[in-house]
Amino acid sequence: MFEHEVNPENIKKATFVVAIPSYNEADSIAFPVQQADKGIQSFFGNMKSVIINCDNNSSDGTKEIFLGTKTGTPKIYISTEPGIKGKGNNFRNLFKKVVDLDAQGVVAVDADLKSITPKWIRHLGEPLFQDFGYVAPLYVRHKYDGTITNSIAYPLIRSLYGRRVRQPIGGDFGLCGRLAHTYLQSDTWSDAVANFGIDIWMTTLAMTENIPICQAFMGRPKIHRAKDPGSDLGPMFRQVVGTIFNMMIRFYPFWSNVKWSKPTAIFGFGLGETEMPPPVKVNKEILFQKFHAGFESYGRIWEKVLPKETVNKLEEIREMDRGQFDFPMHLWINVLIDFAVAYKDRLWRVDELLDSLVPLYLGETLSYVKKTERMSIREAEEFIEEECIQFEASKGRLIQCWKEKTSA
Amino acid sequence: MAKILVVDDEEHIRLLYSEELGEAGYEVVTAADGYKLIERIDDERPDLVILDIKMIDYNGLDLLQEIRNKFYNLPVILCTAYDTFKEDMKSIAADFYVIKSFDLTELKKKIAMALEANIPSP
Repeated sequence: MFEHEVNPENIKKATFVVAIPSYNEADSIAFPVQQADKGIQSFFGNMKSVIINCDNNSSDGTKEIFLGTKTGTPKIYISTEPGIKGKGNNFRNLFKKVVDLDAQGVVAVDADLKSITPKWIRHLGEPLFQDFGYVAPLYVRHKYDGTITNSIAYPLIRSLYGRRVRQPIGGDFGLCGRLAHTYLQSDTWSDAVANFGIDIWMTTLAMTENIPICQAFMGRPKIHRAKDPGSDLGPMFRQVVGTIFNMMIRFYPFWSNVKWSKPTAIFGFGLGETEMPPPVKVNKEILFQKFHAGFESYGRIWEKVLPKETVNKLEEIREMDRGQFDFPMHLWINVLIDFAVAYKDRLWRVDELLDSLVPLYLGETLSYVKKTERMSIREAEEFIEEECIQFEASKGRLIQCWKEKTSA
Repeated sequence: MAKILVVDDEEHIRLLYSEELGEAGYEVVTAADGYKLIERIDDERPDLVILDIKMIDYNGLDLLQEIRNKFYNLPVILCTAYDTFKEDMKSIAADFYVIKSFDLTELKKKIAMALEANIPSP
């Protein structure tokens, strides 16, 4: 029988909440629940706290595993209606519950985390009771883990809104209770936000609302179900990038006045030696093939939304064999600018437009993989930082293109 | 005129920066160490801080943390002779990271970028 909420201890108020969104995570949710409980008991023991599982009415017994996991902290299970899926929908339920509970601080962590420790709860939560309203995670990730973050989300969000948040779609966050109100009242909610667009939407709104942001150092790498960047991206790419483009339309007056970028405060150093992440394997042949297949599938879209010189450059790259392959960064930046403008001006049906960006993203990813193959994780980070400065330096072109198309 | 606070325990570096950045149109004040740096920043109200990482008795990366927690938006440029400090993730709380050199072209470029950086209020 469907139950929207199970609240065994009838909790009505809580100061601190740890939330775990899920969909069919019966085999993994117990571990983050146990770690969250230890974190609460060790570092927030003086606060009235609760652990909330926001679920999509999973059919694999997630609810039973969650409620059955032994904890000292009370638990609440809430679910979307049957048939309603999406991480964003889970978060929307969470925001409502946070407001009901009148909570001051909320930490959300992924249900598939294998490397979470109690200190993650502390580091994501403590800044919320100091001067910060939004806490993004900072973990050492393998250079090929999180390529949407590295190629699109981090550099674009940084250059648009001026705040350097290295993991804007990290999946683990802290937010103050006031921000939950703001999220519920925002008129920028969309189907994409209701799904995987939620993380970038939350980070973007925190920036546009000028909420003090910090990054919390997690000490350990994020170990979860990492994917080969060439494997099927599914709707995630469309939802994340679509949300970025949508928010660009809404917040043009804000981002058009941002110049360069500023760092954020870092919280939580002093954990001792940083653990290195496990390697992520990349199938370069698949990236190469999918880039090439894009010409057949989406060539006519590219011709419609990209300037002729960009299409010519893509044709040049198409002629390169795998050994020579190079997708220059300035070309990638121009492609993203032109796609954002095409999205705003509805030059093509948006879902298909976003799908047509995927082969180009995979081509750029292949180029990044080749250039960073011999680099350490830290060197690859510096490489990305240099690329971000190129993104920021291209802001003038973005604004010019945005205005031109608007007045056309 | 933008005011720059140079924190470095090497006198010749303080002199070099004072002279060159002064000629570039900046007002330069200096500190030889990190002693009471937060109070000094409170008093001087600089527009930007250039901070040496490795000073006798002071770790610039720890000072950076203190600055960032108290002065959320104050631009800080880390300066060091040792490239290896980039390995420390604390350095990302700085606006920029510059390797010490007698040629200040890169430093001046980064100063200009850091001072130009702007995030509007909503």
